[in-house]
Formats: sequence, C-alpha cells, structure tokens
Amino acid sequence: MTMTCNEACAVIAGQESGALVVTTMSAMFGYQKASQSPTVMSSVPLMGGASGIGLGLALARPEKQVLVLDGDSSLLMELGSLATVAGQKPENFKHFVFKNNAQFAGIANAEVPGGAGVDFAAAALASGYAGAHKVETLEQLKEQLPAILVETGPVLVELSIGAPQKFGRSAPQPEIPDMQFQRMGAEARRVMQALAEA
Amino acid sequence: MAVSDFSVPASAILERFKANGVTHATTVPDLVQLSLHAELAEDDDVQLIECAAENQALTTAFGLHVGGKTPVVVMQNQGLMNCLNTLRSVGISAQTPMVISVGQFGREFANLGEDTASSGRVVVNTIEPVLEAMGIPFERLETAEDLDRVDACFAKAREAQCPVVLLVGHYTAWA
Repeated sequence: MTMTCNEACAVIAGQESGALVVTTMSAMFGYQKASQSPTVMSSVPLMGGASGIGLGLALARPEKQVLVLDGDSSLLMELGSLATVAGQKPENFKHFVFKNNAQFAGIANAEVPGGAGVDFAAAALASGYAGAHKVETLEQLKEQLPAILVETGPVLVELSIGAPQKFGRSAPQPEIPDMQFQRMGAEARRVMQALAEA
Repeated sequence: MAVSDFSVPASAILERFKANGVTHATTVPDLVQLSLHAELAEDDDVQLIECAAENQALTTAFGLHVGGKTPVVVMQNQGLMNCLNTLRSVGISAQTPMVISVGQFGREFANLGEDTASSGRVVVNTIEPVLEAMGIPFERLETAEDLDRVDACFAKAREAQCPVVLLVGHYTAWA
C-alpha cells in the first residue's frame, strides 16, 4: 500500500528540525501544506533542478541538514546529478524521491519514461551515494525516518507515492499563475534572510 | 597579432575571480578553458565542483548563492545552449547574480580578433544573439587587455541581480 504525497510531506515536515528543504513538483504543494518553515524553497518551474540546488546548499552550509524532495520524472531529467552529488560526498544531504510514476505535479496524464520499474535507490548506490532506502508505506516512513535523518549522506530515499489525478474534460488544465514563476526567487531570498538572521 | 596573443593566462583569470570573492566554481569542463580548469583544480581557495551536465552547474551555483557563497560557473558554448531553460529559471526568473564563463568552442583561428558574427560556425556565431534575445548581459574576453571585463561581469551581476556571461574567445593560456 502506497502513501499520498501530502502524507509523506507531513511526516517529513514533522520530523525535521531546522533543515534547508528544496522541493519540486507535487512535493512542493504537499510540503507547503505541511510546513511554514522559512528555510524551504522550490525548484519551480524547473523540473530536474532540485538535486543541484540542494547540493549547492549542502556544500555552502555543511552544518545544516539539507533535504531534497524530488520527483521521479524530475530526477530522470537530471539523473546524472546522482553522480554529481556523490562526487562531492555531502554528508548532510538527504534525497527523497517521490515515485508516483507520473510526469507532472499533482495532476498527471503521462507516465514517466521507463515506467514504475526504474530503481532510483539502485541508481543512487551505483552512482556512489552512501546509502539508499525504499519506503513503501506511511508506517514504514514514520518508523524509518528518524534513523535516516541521522545517517551520513548522501542518502536517497525512494518513496512509493499513490497515483495523482489526471486532466480531462471534467478537469481541464488551469492557467499557470504569475506566482509560479516568481516563487523560486522569492523563496530563495526568504531562505537567505533566515540564514542571515540565524 | 599572433594566435597566442588571444590566449589569456588562466592564472590571471583566476586571480580576477578571487578578487571578486569567488568561493566555488561549478563546471562541466570546457576544452577552451582547460588551463583555467587546471588552475581551479589545484587552487586551495576556490572549491571546484565537477558536474555531469550544465543544468547542474547552474542549479548547484544557485544553491551555493542562496547558502551565502559566491560561485562562478564555467562551461562552453555548447553547454550554454544545453541549459538555456535552467538559465532562464535560476538566473533570470529568480534574479540571481551569477557570472558564467563560456568558452567559444569551435571558433576558427581565422576568426580571432574578428566579430564572432562572422564565424562560420553556428555554435559560435549564435551565442551573442541568443544572449541578447534572453536579455542576458555579456562581455568578451579576447586578449589579456580585456581582463577588467571579468570584473565588469561581477559588478554587473551584483548591480542588476542577474546572470552575466563572460565569453572567452580562445583557449586560455597555460600560464
């Protein structure tokens, strides 16, 4: 039994403390419901960017825990980032992959390339990550997360997330609001201010 | 002017980076800037971060900036073409001061000292028009006399809170 994106985000937000968090795609919407932390920023609209942004934060702020909440199709766009991250050996880097087998955030019609069979945990280990886990249920996530958060990174956690909704006649694609194009910069400046005030 | 006069010493470029507070260099190695890459790899003050693709060089630099560091990005013209949407996103939309040193890979030696618009190579002659279309400022580094343009890139990036490209016209010198 899989978990929903919002459920997974709530568990992560509930257990982290003071981390720098980079979200993207469906996890962006899920995490904003779960957390009011000023040190959360989104890779939007930019599929594939979360792991690199998280790496930069992890290297700049080694004293901080960095959590990247990535999408499966997003990571596939920059799968080479696994090697880039592994090459830097950021011990404070935790990489969660929300594996819902859908191409777009929250509402999706297209499956990811390779379908559900892509093994992100294996790819991370093969690329040189220090650890990798597969978490199938919400109960497993609640149980395993405390230990994962204190592991030496980089660590990837592949989460089995339930299928999102799809567009169609009764649920047409919406207009993309201005905020979607402004929030990454606004959130980045908020994170910078929070770090400066800490 | 001899071809070698168009090769700006890599050590001089690195010194300009340091003078502008650079702490990290994210890169996909570039044939044009190989000697600069070697200087960065041996340097103790600037941390070199090798990336698998140019998109990652930009996003990692963005994360470093948010974390309080001053990165420079090093790539070649093909790489710039490869990461235009990421540049649009983390550079333009997010209003990030970021200097990107771009080697003009494939430029004919006969074109050195000439306008790159007259290069017969599309990968060379389209770079400036692409940057202009995206509204991204750029400076040309053609000879050692242009080294102050490195400083100009950092000043412009800070002033306008935007990405600025340094176009490196020929192989950086192993000096």
